[in-house]
Amino acid sequence: MKQTSVVYLTVGSLLALLFGIIVTIIIPAIQATGPTALAHKYTDQELRGREIYKREGCWYCHTQQVRAPEANKGMVHQKGDIGPESIEGDYYYQSPVFWGTERQGPDLTHVASRIDSREWHILHLKDPRALNPGTLMPSFAYLSDKELDDLAAYLLTLK
Amino acid sequence: MWSTEPGSASRRFFLSAVFWLIVPVFMGLILSILLFVPSAQDLVPMAAKPYLNFGRLRPAHVNIAIFGWLSQAYVGGILHIVPRLTRTKLYSEKLAHINWWLWNLLILLAAITLPMGLTQGREYAEMIWPLDLLLIVNWVLLAINIWGTFLRREEPKVYVSLWNFMAATIVFLGVYAVGNKVWDPSGAYTGMNDNIINYFYVHNLFNSWFTTAGLGLALYLLPKLTDKPLYSHRLALWGLWSVWTGQHHQLYSPAPDWLEYLTIVFSILAAVPTTAFIWNFIKTMEGRWHRVGPDIMLRFLVTGAFFWALTCVQGVAQSFRTFSLFVHFTYWVVGHSHLAFVGDYSFWAFALTYLMLPQLLRRPMHSRALMEWHYWLTTVGLTIFMVTLWIAGLIQAQNWMSFSIPFIDTVRSLQTYLGVRFFGGALMVVGQVIFAYNVWRTAFVPTAQPVPVPVGAGGGGQ
Repeated sequence: MKQTSVVYLTVGSLLALLFGIIVTIIIPAIQATGPTALAHKYTDQELRGREIYKREGCWYCHTQQVRAPEANKGMVHQKGDIGPESIEGDYYYQSPVFWGTERQGPDLTHVASRIDSREWHILHLKDPRALNPGTLMPSFAYLSDKELDDLAAYLLTLK
Repeated sequence: MWSTEPGSASRRFFLSAVFWLIVPVFMGLILSILLFVPSAQDLVPMAAKPYLNFGRLRPAHVNIAIFGWLSQAYVGGILHIVPRLTRTKLYSEKLAHINWWLWNLLILLAAITLPMGLTQGREYAEMIWPLDLLLIVNWVLLAINIWGTFLRREEPKVYVSLWNFMAATIVFLGVYAVGNKVWDPSGAYTGMNDNIINYFYVHNLFNSWFTTAGLGLALYLLPKLTDKPLYSHRLALWGLWSVWTGQHHQLYSPAPDWLEYLTIVFSILAAVPTTAFIWNFIKTMEGRWHRVGPDIMLRFLVTGAFFWALTCVQGVAQSFRTFSLFVHFTYWVVGHSHLAFVGDYSFWAFALTYLMLPQLLRRPMHSRALMEWHYWLTTVGLTIFMVTLWIAGLIQAQNWMSFSIPFIDTVRSLQTYLGVRFFGGALMVVGQVIFAYNVWRTAFVPTAQPVPVPVGAGGGGQ
């Protein structure tokens, strides 16, 4: 057994890691674009709502990314329509982003364009099954009124 | 507490892995009930509602299964194998025990903080900052033990598994540190790059740790359980290829097109090491297939390899834009991740546990019949679970692509499938409880007379 093999393994592993980092992290960071018109600067309340969205794991069942082939089928306010395609600059102010992995519920990228009533969102968060029979969404009635208000404020930024 | 007896830390890792297996499987069962019958949430007492809600249990289910069960079983196996392949003692048994305590502290804290809603809000990277740091410490301790043992080796020939373990520890450390942004308490990047880096981490958790180390474990088990040398050592080295495929989770997303095309190329290239491993596996198995029936460990290994091949075929298919557009975001993907996680890596970990725990405890498993039950309940349960989700995912995708069916109708139409999925999941849960009972009886309430197993018996079939 030659010591050189260990060196090859170490260097090879580190090079592979470095390649991955350059390609997936450094180049996209250099190419990053500025905010679009849809990018939203959050108020304190909306940021609190965003934290609740993160804490309660809303993003496990709702995505926030509209892919080109599915975008803009019909009008934005029409039922079942997902809205315009998401582009990089839309996420400019978000950390973390909530792109999500699964749609056990609908995509929420433009949910406020479909439903812009704060009252509806709060009622729906408290008792989704009453407003939407057959939904899988759990009740969030255990949140305080203030938390529900903050969360609804955040949802209304998703235009 | 800090025993220096060889194998004592490995034994502890196996036992705590099996303990932590039981926690996420019950969480998974609750999750599947909540999807099948959402009104089951009303039965939960008000005070417990926040902690048993879907969005909080899901990260706990995933993280404990990944780092509590599977990673600990891997570490148990690695700590057992490395001294055998190097024909020397573990670099430091004491260090391995410290590693074990810190590892279990990490999992305990994760099991508490995640249902509390303390999360960084990124897939597989949910654990909060102090836990990220604790995980890094654990990995460094593990790397020191593996590399330290390797550098003191008495055996001049280096079996391929060692390369896999050593590469896995280095690369995964880098992947975890970057993917979780461990130098920043928020743990998140800003804008689109946050998601790109998140999936760089998610996929390479599998590539650089579960696959690289897992193939190392499988390549140790295969010659051992077949009493035959590996067909080709050179071919096995191909499995070391680390492939950067994370961005195939983002096809048609706002991520740059060139990155998507690059990841498709790499995903297709992944077929090379996959084919090399499968070919090696089949050639080594030649003349030994008749043993798969009677030998339950070999059966777990072979079934795992079959599921692994299927994972790789699905994985390559899913990395094509058209197919990804169709199945992404559907239940198909949940089926795929359980195929990889339970079907391959956990099946290999079961084979590992059944082979090594009796050696470490110096007595046979409590019950052979319970091992059979474990195998069949897991295999049948998992198959029902996955196939149902694949079908459900295709129906979901087809409904979405019609662009005319209201979303809620696409949800309602799948209730039966979610019921069958719950049934398949319940079979798996029963299987794991039987496994844990069998291990508990073997370790703590033994009936059989101790059978001495010579320490250091056998190499890796070199």
